[in-house]
Amino acid sequence: MSNHLALRSGNPALQSSTFRDHLSSVSEGTMTLSGTVNKTAISLILVIASAGYSWSNPAMHALAMPAALIGFVLALVTVFKPKMGHVTVPAYAVAQGIFLGVISMIFNAQYPGIVVQAVFLTFGTLGALLLAYMSGLIKATENFKLGIVAATGGIAFLYLINMVMGFFGSQISVISSNDTMGIIFSGVVVVIAALNLVLDFDFIEEGAEMGAPKYMEWYGAFGLLVTLIWLYLEILRLLAKLSSRR
Amino acid sequence: MENPAIVLWIPIIILSVISIIKLLNKGGPNSKPWIRIEKVEENE
Repeated sequence: MSNHLALRSGNPALQSSTFRDHLSSVSEGTMTLSGTVNKTAISLILVIASAGYSWSNPAMHALAMPAALIGFVLALVTVFKPKMGHVTVPAYAVAQGIFLGVISMIFNAQYPGIVVQAVFLTFGTLGALLLAYMSGLIKATENFKLGIVAATGGIAFLYLINMVMGFFGSQISVISSNDTMGIIFSGVVVVIAALNLVLDFDFIEEGAEMGAPKYMEWYGAFGLLVTLIWLYLEILRLLAKLSSRR
Repeated sequence: MENPAIVLWIPIIILSVISIIKLLNKGGPNSKPWIRIEKVEENE
């Protein structure tokens, strides 16, 4: 299975070796689709609740960056210790929710109504891609997976360079500019983020079919959550760019 | 452009409609087609 690409995902949390490393430790039941859907729903409720709380409480605004940092650490713990998913994934959801609430409030203050549009567009994209995956319109073929993984890696690399350049007071203009190229770039990033959802669906389906251990349900939910949060932030950025041109 | 979000809904709606049509037309060997055209013999 090590050479098989069926479990490859653009999401760094969902790699081909993930199930292989945990298949031998099945003792408390196996991963199911419904179980993963339930855990994804619980995680999303936690994100939305904590985002709503941090949005409406000015005292929480100072916690945005610490929450993002804690979320990053929790994500790393989840990746390296999937068995702790039942603790780290809900905690990650709460931490990211606090961060998203403050970021969303800032965007909404600048462009009123943008957050509601971004939320609906994110869930609309999730629903549309779920339908496309279920119908077989979009199949997670080997070439598709390789393409999305490469594109996601390219974007991650570009963002990393941009972050390093930021330390020296410079940046890659296409990432933040609202000119035509900047909007095209954001549009492409949104499409790639959305297509990562297909890889997540495939990963979860494969895990359930292969009889991965029960705790991998939290891991599958975590992968979907990471992609959804990324997609939401990219849609928010694209809408802000489009709104600033009006 | 009055509302930029409308442009972003277009691909989502198109993708959903095509997927729903594909789901409705999806038929395995055991599924019954919605419409069946049969050749009718004379005086049948």
